[in-house]
Amino acid sequence: MSNPIVTCRGVTKVFGKGDLAVHALAGVDLDFAPGDFATLAGPSGSGKTTLLNMIGALDTPTAGEVSIAGNRLNDMNKSQLSDLRLTKIGFVFQSLNLIPVLSAVENVEFVLELQHCPAAEQRERAIKVLEQVGLKGMENRRPSAMSGGQQQRVAVARALVTKPAIVLADEPTANLDSKNSSDLMDLMAQLNADLGITFVIGTHDVSVMKRSRRHLEMLDGRISSDTRR
Amino acid sequence: MIVSLAWRNIWRQPVRTTLSVVGMAFASLLLVFMASFQFGAYDTMKSSMLKISDGFGQFQPVGYKDDPEIEKVIADPAALMAEAEQIAGITASTLRSNGFGLLANGERSFAAAIVGVEPGLENKVSKLDTMVERGRALTPDDDAAIVLGEGLARNLRLELGDQVTLLGSGLDGSVAADVLTLVGIFKSGIPEIDRTIARMPLQRFDDTFAMNGAVHIVALSAESVPAVERAEPELRALAARHGLVYLNWGELQPGVKQAIDFDLVTSLLMYVTLVVVVVFIILNTLYMSVLERTREFGVLLAIGMKPGQIGRMVWMEMIFLSLFGNGVGIVLGMALTGYFTQVGISFAGMEEIYAQWGLPSRMYPTMTFGRVLGGPGAVVAAIGVLGIIPYRRVLGLTPVKAMAA
Ligand SMILES: Nc1ncnc2c1ncn2[C@@H]1O[C@H](COP(=O)(O)OP(=O)(O)O)[C@@H](O)[C@H]1O
Ligand SMILES: [Mg+2]
Repeated sequence: MSNPIVTCRGVTKVFGKGDLAVHALAGVDLDFAPGDFATLAGPSGSGKTTLLNMIGALDTPTAGEVSIAGNRLNDMNKSQLSDLRLTKIGFVFQSLNLIPVLSAVENVEFVLELQHCPAAEQRERAIKVLEQVGLKGMENRRPSAMSGGQQQRVAVARALVTKPAIVLADEPTANLDSKNSSDLMDLMAQLNADLGITFVIGTHDVSVMKRSRRHLEMLDGRISSDTRR
Repeated sequence: MIVSLAWRNIWRQPVRTTLSVVGMAFASLLLVFMASFQFGAYDTMKSSMLKISDGFGQFQPVGYKDDPEIEKVIADPAALMAEAEQIAGITASTLRSNGFGLLANGERSFAAAIVGVEPGLENKVSKLDTMVERGRALTPDDDAAIVLGEGLARNLRLELGDQVTLLGSGLDGSVAADVLTLVGIFKSGIPEIDRTIARMPLQRFDDTFAMNGAVHIVALSAESVPAVERAEPELRALAARHGLVYLNWGELQPGVKQAIDFDLVTSLLMYVTLVVVVVFIILNTLYMSVLERTREFGVLLAIGMKPGQIGRMVWMEMIFLSLFGNGVGIVLGMALTGYFTQVGISFAGMEEIYAQWGLPSRMYPTMTFGRVLGGPGAVVAAIGVLGIIPYRRVLGLTPVKAMAA
């Protein structure tokens, strides 16, 4: 197995203090390898979102270490973490991922703009990923003129366009009906198979869990099972 | 793209933004109009006061204003006049000399301020010539002629064509005596002037008072009060080079200046209130729009936008909105003010009060850069500076907390 993209060692997160302290993560040891297509399941409050936030450099652990693509997050300041997210990590959230006043193509271009990519190249790359996520012809629509499923596809396109090391999706299908949710999973599975993009998907949707090649279960802030198939 | 995003963000809430723009535009329209009208009225007051006799500005010997002794003179005024007329905004200049003396008609005699003026030039600076009610103004051909204020002529019981005897002391201490013919009587409406001023040709004055070519005052005429105010630094420098002083309108008419200053302070309070109210209403609206977008900012932070970039975008939004609102206000304000600069504004019932001050009953606003841009500029600048508040709020956001909002 090649070097992992993500390593978590003893990752602990405690919210609050004293009697009110919540141990959202209680020492998580976990690796993700390039090309993983993993789902992360578990009851509500088990720590899925908290763990994804740690892996995504959105939050810092109370104890333990996280490394992404060889970068130890503990050693990095806010600005470096921000740059790491911009270049190495793609995010798809449950809803309201997009900037409402920008069209689909502009939403995708936006992250390239943040990377100071030349304008002509931005447009070219954005149009190409939108085609890959099946939104050819929708480039100029604003989010409000698209269905929930289409909006999530734009979010996937935006996550992909920077060619990140890993894409993290927290409940990406939670606001979609079963048809759209299945289509979105198909899309991510396809992108994983065709382009080798690493996905970690937090979910409590059983139909989503079935699609992954690696399945993690969480309980009370710990990984309770890790199965590959 | 951030610029375009900021602009589009403003229009997310079209109704709210339109209301903000209308509010700001209305306030800045008011500011433009009120300032232009108020200062325009001041200009009218100043220029009508000044035009009566003083002129828009004067060169005088040092100390002459406070203690007008005949010995304090401008010995060689020709070069000064020529240089002054070169200065932008200055349209004409004329020489004057002042002597104090007794005017007598038989047994009757009254003290008077005898002013030697240059007929033909004087009327470019002061309006007394146009206020001649009986007889005529002085002309360049006049020699032993005199024009008196209406009160002075009445006190002396003089009629047109009568002889009047002048007695005073000349520059060299000799007795200045002359006999002049009354050719005209003026009425400015200002009792002080009408009871004391007598005007005679400068040439004759020079001989009578043994001035030997020297004068006391170089009086200036200008395109407008703002024009002469702009030229003031140059005029002062010129005066200094000739060892003289330059007196502006406020120094020539301290009473008018005091009245204007008082009025200005009161109205300044009103302007400041208006600006503060507008700024805080707009700031509140904009701050709301930032709070509402906290979750969205969380997503932007998550995907790698820096807090400073988001903060600058928000700041830009505020500046765009205030520039836009005030821009509209300035254009509309200028249009409205422009209309009234043509037709003027008159206040019914005020005519008599104004006339006492030598003022016309119809007032005209006048626009200058300062009057048009001052108020709206203060609004934009205040919003620009206070944009630090939402900016700092954005800087304090973290992606997780913001997305949880
Ligand atoms: N910001 C926070 N402050 C306090 N407690 C939190 C915070 N975020 C999460 N938690 C708590 O941490 C635990 C794990 O939450 P989360 O990771 O969101 O679970 P999941 O995504 O699996 O539903 C929960 O008990 C939750 O209440
Ligand atoms: Mg969750």
